Amino acid sequence: MKFLPYVLQHLRRSWIRTASTVAGMALCVFLICVLQTVLAAIESSIAGASPSRLVTRHAVSLTFNMPLAYKARIQAIDGVDRVAISNWFMGVYRDMKDFFPNFAVESEDYFAMYPEIRVPPDQMQAYLQDMQGALIGPDIARKHGFRIGDQFQMESVIPPYRVRGPMTFVVRGIYGAAPGREGSVNMTTMYFHYRYLYETIQGAEGVGDYAGAGTFNLQLRDPDLATAVMRAVDTNFENSDVQTKTETEGAFLSGFISLVGNLAGLLGAVGLAVAFTILLVTANTMSMAVRERRTEIAVLKTLGFSGGRVLALVMIEAAALGVLAGALGVLLAQALVGGLADLPFMGLLLGNFPALRVSPPVAGFTFTVAVVLSLGAGFVPALTAYRGRITEMLRHA
Amino acid sequence: MATVQVENVRKIYTRDTQTIVVLDGISLEVPDGEFVALMGPSGSGKTTLLNLIAGIDRVTSGMIRVGDTTVTGLSDAALAQWRSRHVGFVFQFYNLIPVLTAVENVELPLLLTRLTKRQRRERALTALRIVGLADRAKHYPRQLSGGQEQRVAIARAIVTDPSVLVADEPTGDLDAASAEDILTLLDTLNRDFRKTIVMVTHDPRAAARAHVERHLDKGVLAASVERHVPASRDAHEVPA
Repeated sequence: MKFLPYVLQHLRRSWIRTASTVAGMALCVFLICVLQTVLAAIESSIAGASPSRLVTRHAVSLTFNMPLAYKARIQAIDGVDRVAISNWFMGVYRDMKDFFPNFAVESEDYFAMYPEIRVPPDQMQAYLQDMQGALIGPDIARKHGFRIGDQFQMESVIPPYRVRGPMTFVVRGIYGAAPGREGSVNMTTMYFHYRYLYETIQGAEGVGDYAGAGTFNLQLRDPDLATAVMRAVDTNFENSDVQTKTETEGAFLSGFISLVGNLAGLLGAVGLAVAFTILLVTANTMSMAVRERRTEIAVLKTLGFSGGRVLALVMIEAAALGVLAGALGVLLAQALVGGLADLPFMGLLLGNFPALRVSPPVAGFTFTVAVVLSLGAGFVPALTAYRGRITEMLRHA
Repeated sequence: MATVQVENVRKIYTRDTQTIVVLDGISLEVPDGEFVALMGPSGSGKTTLLNLIAGIDRVTSGMIRVGDTTVTGLSDAALAQWRSRHVGFVFQFYNLIPVLTAVENVELPLLLTRLTKRQRRERALTALRIVGLADRAKHYPRQLSGGQEQRVAIARAIVTDPSVLVADEPTGDLDAASAEDILTLLDTLNRDFRKTIVMVTHDPRAAARAHVERHLDKGVLAASVERHVPASRDAHEVPA
């Protein structure tokens, strides 16, 4: 500890370089932290999926809908307790930058199978009784100032869903999360009645199978029946024009996420590139610091500082940079990550994940990465200082 | 008993395919409490000899003994520890750490000891008092004149109370008045604190302050000039 003031004074000497290095590293740490947070949110979403819920979709692609008649046939399969249609509406409120996820659902069945979504009974009653009713997440209400009874319009970007122009909705409820399930409920989603969507577009030219079901969400009597039910559903429609693909909710979410490519792989690759940047930035700074201080290192050694102690001093300096940048980057991420979902286009992706906040494990991991990389980057310059011969360093000063 | 014994020391540098013999079988004895000036033209090997005595360079062959320690037989780590306790080095260009104040610079070698922070600070201030710069303790090197910087460097060299002081052209970067002050200070340290001093210099006036002048030429010791040494010496240690 007695050497720490000495190290810190050195960092203060070239404060512009120190500050710019720390700022550059902090930005990298911030990026890693955000990427890790998004990955954690994805994993949390998948982990939050119930093993007793299945999702049936068009076998070819999520972008195709299935006939409504399938619902009764699925409902008849042994082990299926409940079935609810859910369609991705992709409606836009005001402008794309205000986008939030929105689904047309068969409300009674849907909310019965998602007990983690909590709606006050009076609001749920009002919602169920109003064809134009909408349930919104608290984050939407806060962002747009919606209150119960407010009316607003949305228009889908999917052509068959906009054949009749914008649709009008009335806020009838603001949902929350069941205690202990906060991390698995997305607070930025809007739900409305599938029947409203169906009756609005049905019969219009060009709608085709878009008046069908996007997905059937299945509630099982017993999670152990999942494999058998999945097989039974898909076998049931094997010889139909529209074949299905049934999977667990977790697998479905993973597949949905993979629509934007190998997101985890992409984020991992970006994180790796950013980490490498930290390594280069710190290595450059530490190399410059050691090169500039050859004489001082020679003096320290002359005074009796061993090579190991000089190596330790340089490593402490590198670690100090890592600690500063790590702390700054994590704090920055904690302050800004919540706002990412509000950004245009970013919201499209990130808005689907609940609990988009820097968790202690992610903060700890990112901070550790910053310090470890700094130590790694400082090692070669420290080794140079360790090995440097006093007379050589004095001569080339 | 000699404090410094140099026996048949050779130092050879190899640059690419070229071999340069810098010191060629040097033998030298510096008695305890002696003040020796090493003189000679550039490239004669005097700084190399000084570095070898101070233990910051290695001999190619031969032996160097300082006090009871055979310096040439020590490992790198042991040599570093030995330097911290037994040798004070004064550089031509002072080599103070610019981000540290005068007292922090002087305190630097004491970081290697088990002294408390308070003890370290007291010792450093005592050393600064000896060189007459106690009132500049909080000043940074850039706020001091060359002569004052060299005084701080000397305080740093004596703060651990080493038995041997080695000085590489300590007045080489100073004006005449400052150089005179530094030489007087070295003289005081030798006379009153009984420090053995080995000083490399080009300056005959500086060399004249030493008791013995040894001349090096092309890696070989040449003439020796001895002067009268004051009879009375009251030895002191740097007060703790």
